[in-house]
Amino acid sequence: MLFSLILALIRPGLRGFDRLYAFMNLIWNCGQKNRSNTMSGLAGICGMVLAMLIPLSAVASFAGHLEPFRSVPVPKSNPQTPEKIELGKKLFFDRRLSGDGTMSCASCHIPEQAYTDGQDISLSYPTTMNWRNSPTLINVALYKNLFHDGRVKTLEDQALFPMLSAFEMNQNLDFVEEEIRVVPEYAEAFQKVFGGEPNRERIAMAIAAFERTLVSVNAPYDRFLKGDRKALTEDAMKGLEIFNGKGKCADCHDGVNLSDDKFYALHVPENPVLLNDPRVTATMRFVAKVYHDKDYRNLKEDPGRYLITKDKKDWKAFRTPTLREIARSGPYMHNGVLNTLDEVIEFFNAGGGKGNRHLKPLGLSEEEKKHLKAFLVEALTGEELKFVYPVIP
Amino acid sequence: MAAGPVVKKIMDTYKGKVRLVIKNYPYKYRDYAHSAAEASLAAADQGKYWEMHDLLLKKSPKLDRDSLINYAKDLGLDVKAFTTAIDSRKHAAEIERDIQLAHAMDLYSTPTYYINGRKVVGNRPYEYLKQIIEEELKNAKK
Repeated sequence: MLFSLILALIRPGLRGFDRLYAFMNLIWNCGQKNRSNTMSGLAGICGMVLAMLIPLSAVASFAGHLEPFRSVPVPKSNPQTPEKIELGKKLFFDRRLSGDGTMSCASCHIPEQAYTDGQDISLSYPTTMNWRNSPTLINVALYKNLFHDGRVKTLEDQALFPMLSAFEMNQNLDFVEEEIRVVPEYAEAFQKVFGGEPNRERIAMAIAAFERTLVSVNAPYDRFLKGDRKALTEDAMKGLEIFNGKGKCADCHDGVNLSDDKFYALHVPENPVLLNDPRVTATMRFVAKVYHDKDYRNLKEDPGRYLITKDKKDWKAFRTPTLREIARSGPYMHNGVLNTLDEVIEFFNAGGGKGNRHLKPLGLSEEEKKHLKAFLVEALTGEELKFVYPVIP
Repeated sequence: MAAGPVVKKIMDTYKGKVRLVIKNYPYKYRDYAHSAAEASLAAADQGKYWEMHDLLLKKSPKLDRDSLINYAKDLGLDVKAFTTAIDSRKHAAEIERDIQLAHAMDLYSTPTYYINGRKVVGNRPYEYLKQIIEEELKNAKK
């Protein structure tokens, strides 16, 4: 524990107030988040001691904090139960949730592909085209902002969006409620879990409960942070140094989920299909129209979070994604335009996309890039969990 | 839908090493999806599957009966035999079998590939499929 805390404290990174806040956050975490385990006293004390010993000049070089995975937060309004999780799992795989009965949540979030669909642009409702990449659902419960543009805050709110989306599941919620209600097994399960009949809110709650079980477990990175000094290979260790230092990755990819949950316009190149395929263009315009963008018919690029906030600073901004299971969740970026981790590293090494204000060229050598990739691939891939597919009633 | 060019490139690259089996999965709510599947198989009877396949994608959604017959003419097919085939739904049973097979395998998306049992759903770039094929060829040599 002491070792992992010291490691957390030697990371360079954010500027000014953020650095101080991150440091204070670390100290707070050290004392608060570990209360439930036997190390809590020691963790609290070591945080306090380190806070006193480290001079202010050193504080100025701290980034966020590193944390091993322990558990996911569960809202009081939707407690986890085995029956609810099982019900949610069935619904997640049930194609009844789509208008034509061909798409389920699992169509684009496939267990064997780290709950992505492995495509640059996600699969879509038949005859339509999606416009963004299907993000992994692993550790999705740790996000405070969901979707690439952060349009919703909770998994319960999120679950209904793709069902309603014309280019994803294209379903009518009044209709799907009735479709589920007439299935005796579902009626019984909802009664048992919720004490009432199926409705859209309960469908979403059950799916959210299932999604909270999708976690990356016992990755070498977790074991390392918990004190196993041999958990990382030599290359991955060097990669971790780059991740925290010269690569500046940890400036945004921090915390237990390796995401700060914030939005940045890195000016990732547009996926050519956005304008080359009229169906994708139509989808972009449709989403912009739904979000009351006045210029939706003239869009030439994905406006990102701007569509949600209408704040110019959010133009083309997207949420920092988790790096957990990153080796298994490509293609990368909000539009899947980067196929491999090598391409991603090159993108950041070059200082990101043209005109962005967040990134600068990193000057990583070939060796450093290799080590960084080793860290991403080896350290952040958790145990392979056997998945048992549900029987759909 | 755009699987054709990638599949053709694979078949050119791995001539004699890869066997291609195509199954039909016409989308149930598309007006002409079934008749387009019939047309492609009627063209296959005359050795011009890919030619018709490519033309149908290019001309979609103009896939009504008269258009299909015109495409057969354009490709130099025996139009009488082609027309008889699509009018009699000569390949309907085969197409239906393919659809049933897909549903039995819980497949609903096109294209879906199986490469020596390894399932890949959705369009993929050539390099993606190539990597799987190379791995499978290596395994086959063991």
